[in-house]
Amino acid sequence: MNIDATLASLEGLRLAEYIRQSLYVFPFLESLHVLGLTMVFGSIAVLDLRLLGIASVRRPVAGVAIDVEKWAWWAFALTAVTGALMFVTNAAVYYHNVYFRLKMAMLLAAGLNVAFFELTSRRSLQQWNRDAKAPMAGRAAATVSLLLWIAIIFMGRWIGFTTTRVTGSKPDPGVNIEDLLPK
Amino acid sequence: MTEFAGWLAATQASVWIASHDWVIPTIQSIHIVAISVALVSAFMIGFRVLGWTGSDQTPVETMDRFWPWLAASLVVLLATGALMVVGEPARELLAFSFWLKMGLVVIATGLTWWVGKSQIKALTFVTLLVWVGIIFLGRLIAYDHIWGSWSMSPKA
Repeated sequence: MNIDATLASLEGLRLAEYIRQSLYVFPFLESLHVLGLTMVFGSIAVLDLRLLGIASVRRPVAGVAIDVEKWAWWAFALTAVTGALMFVTNAAVYYHNVYFRLKMAMLLAAGLNVAFFELTSRRSLQQWNRDAKAPMAGRAAATVSLLLWIAIIFMGRWIGFTTTRVTGSKPDPGVNIEDLLPK
Repeated sequence: MTEFAGWLAATQASVWIASHDWVIPTIQSIHIVAISVALVSAFMIGFRVLGWTGSDQTPVETMDRFWPWLAASLVVLLATGALMVVGEPARELLAFSFWLKMGLVVIATGLTWWVGKSQIKALTFVTLLVWVGIIFLGRLIAYDHIWGSWSMSPKA
């Protein structure tokens, strides 16, 4: 099965059609995506700034890491699921969009950066847990992480400005907020 | 308001922003980066009250760590938000979501300060929900037709 057929079958999903037809579902997914991604970047930044010795410096790194990891993974799951749901509504367009591809490559790089941190500085965490900043490898990983996530946010916004959202062929009468209120 | 938006749209600054395709996405991206800092700072203050994070830190230490970052990010958000209003006056100023969002930002900021100082748990849930509402309203500015006649935007 080639990629074009795969993308077309994703777009043909009933779920994708449902999202396209609704006036409300796509904006709702976008809002949850923003909520998720701001929590991912914001919480990761708290740890990165600790590693760099910029914020939370008097607090042991392990305590900061526990707080951050608890929320970042759930937030990342929310962002990934909502992102996938938006993707299927217009899979071929997103797949061929250069900013989408750059964003996916940067997400992969961010994942590899986490692996690099886990395999280097993280292993000796007990030795520098209370130091004002992480060893060189940890600070390098923190810098790369901050730059990558900021770039990922920019790419995400550029995807929105270089693709046109597909909406249903039939206009959705939807629910007007005023219909819910007493006349 | 429609007249004011029209006047603003005719200013040199607005015309410049509108005539360069990269400016609005750049401002929006910076705005989202700042939202991340603001939201997580407010959440860390709130989560500490609820005992979800930072239990090795006192409430005072938590406020000292996150309140200045919340305040600083709000300054960036106001500046980038103002630039978006200048660049696209009608889209923002005529949107019901925009004005509701502005009101909630003031309330959420005040509430966050209050719960950070008072550590009242019930109020913290409200505060976190208001911040989530602000995120939704920010995105919904692009879809103001959902508000029907509450929106001042010209009907499509």
